[in-house]
Amino acid sequence: MRWLTLYLRSRRAPMALAAAGSIAVLMWSLWSVFSNARDVGFQMVALTVLLLVVALTATLGGPDDALEGTAALRWPRRRVAHLLVALLVVVVLMLVTLATGARFGPGWMMVRDAAGLLGLTALAAATTGTARAWFLPLAWTLAAALYPRSEPVLGQVLTWQAQPPESTAANVTAGLLALGGLVTYAVAGPARRPPAEAGQH
Amino acid sequence: MTRILGIELRRSAALGSALALAVAGTLLLFFAEGIGFSTGWMQLAMTQRLYLAVLWPLALAAGAWQARREHRSNVEELFGSTPRPRAHRIVPTVGAMGVAVVGGYLAMGIAGALWIVSTARYFPAAVLAVTAVGVLALVAAVWVGLAVGRLLPSLVTAPALGIAGLALLLLIPAATRPRGWLALVFSPIYEMNMPDAYATVPGRVSAAQAVWLAALAVAAVLLFASGGRRIRVAALLPLVLGAALAVTVMPHQNRFVTDAIDPVARALVCTDDQPRVCVSRVHSGLLAEVTPKAREALTVLTKLPGGPTEVHEDTTAYPDVYPAWREDVALVSVEAGPDGHVLEPSAIPAEVVFGAFASPPGCEKPAGWPERVAAASWLTGREPVADEMSDPAMLDSAVQLWQSLRQLPEAEAQKRVVALRRAALSCSVDEGLLTGNAR
Repeated sequence: MRWLTLYLRSRRAPMALAAAGSIAVLMWSLWSVFSNARDVGFQMVALTVLLLVVALTATLGGPDDALEGTAALRWPRRRVAHLLVALLVVVVLMLVTLATGARFGPGWMMVRDAAGLLGLTALAAATTGTARAWFLPLAWTLAAALYPRSEPVLGQVLTWQAQPPESTAANVTAGLLALGGLVTYAVAGPARRPPAEAGQH
Repeated sequence: MTRILGIELRRSAALGSALALAVAGTLLLFFAEGIGFSTGWMQLAMTQRLYLAVLWPLALAAGAWQARREHRSNVEELFGSTPRPRAHRIVPTVGAMGVAVVGGYLAMGIAGALWIVSTARYFPAAVLAVTAVGVLALVAAVWVGLAVGRLLPSLVTAPALGIAGLALLLLIPAATRPRGWLALVFSPIYEMNMPDAYATVPGRVSAAQAVWLAALAVAAVLLFASGGRRIRVAALLPLVLGAALAVTVMPHQNRFVTDAIDPVARALVCTDDQPRVCVSRVHSGLLAEVTPKAREALTVLTKLPGGPTEVHEDTTAYPDVYPAWREDVALVSVEAGPDGHVLEPSAIPAEVVFGAFASPPGCEKPAGWPERVAAASWLTGREPVADEMSDPAMLDSAVQLWQSLRQLPEAEAQKRVVALRRAALSCSVDEGLLTGNAR
């Protein structure tokens, strides 16, 4: 328990959770105020999931990842658990809205986007470092949310975030990204940077 | 100074931002909605502006990310203790990020330019203005990003600012409705979608947009450079002045860009030799492709006594501009395909012959579509084919008319076709003229 407390504190988890919570509340209230429709538009869903994932990205690395790596701990399983909990946080925050007047759904699309984007972010964190990990998910999701293509199949793959939940190509893409990110991050951890640059605060 | 700028270009987020904008922009240009810019330079410049919808938020995010550098590296206090004013220290960063986004945007333009360089000829000066406003929009965005990133140094600031920027761009038209011209002042992407062949952006629009974006950029630099509250409040001044001036300069008229037509782009460019074939200046690169097909049709039309002797491009432009009516001219629409060359050149002869049975504008009894198609098909000797616009019932009746014409003796069929053209020209087409049982 003591380890967990220290770990969460070193990853600034309370801050990230607070940020994710406020983002969810903000997006939920924006939709509630400005729209009469009960179901939130798919662009808004994709962008909200993206924002939640970005808020949790900060927890993927600590103040000194190189030092952390020297600890004789079983890191891979801890990293996997970290990513799964992050996914759970995003999904739960979004699922709560299904019971309210502004529903961020459909549920499966949201789970898919959350998993895919978290995987993409974890992949970026493992290769380019946590501080830069938000860029690729942001650029990709902005473009996909604005210009979704359903034809040809390649279009579905490239704009998977904005595809309807029944699109197999989008689901497979998200699954591959999620799995790739999970495995890469679990094995390699966040890319090592000098401590001065690795700080996230 | 140049040396410091060079170092800053290498050590900041500048290179990455330029690369990201160039790659994202190029992908959008070619894949987002198909290639819609192949007609010419103006279409390319306007399409680039449209995709600022993605690039503008990304530039905001890039600026915000760069502004966190000192915070990230824990050197804020160290730098704060150096005996140099902050305004001095930020100049290289501001310059490097500005250069980066300009480079990214221009690289995207070059990628598009390479695609159309062999077919696009007409290069109006307005293209430069449209591109300059796009560049200015990105520079303002990256500097606003720097300012916001400095005021709110958090890891979430950059992506959140990006999404907020996108939301802003999408909400401006809704927030200013029904005053569309107001959206045109503040949104660099407004009314830039699907430019048609003679589209242009009037100079006053570009001027008003440039004024606002320049004011935004100045305010952002003031905010980024500010050491205290006084300068931050002072940054409001250029914002207010710029907005007021831009609103004054912008013509207070909705759909100003959508309805704008460039008369020079629409003017005809003709072949030197006879028979004359003319296309609009914006399509002048396609004249060599259109000419043989059009002349093929003119040869067919020699069967019609007093038939058309010239082929012109149909330069009808939305909402209400029509080419001058001439009886000896057959009109044909010319459209550039995604590769910049004529879309379906094989359809041109049939369309020219079809155009020979047109009626003057405002005509109350023109020839119907099936009659015109049947007569044209009889002249060319090819069965009527469906185009994407025609409905199957109309096509069926056209085919029937064509069959009945073919079963007639040559002289009788010719007489009816000639009669149809005369009637079409004089606006007195009666039903059943082709079938011979005219009432």
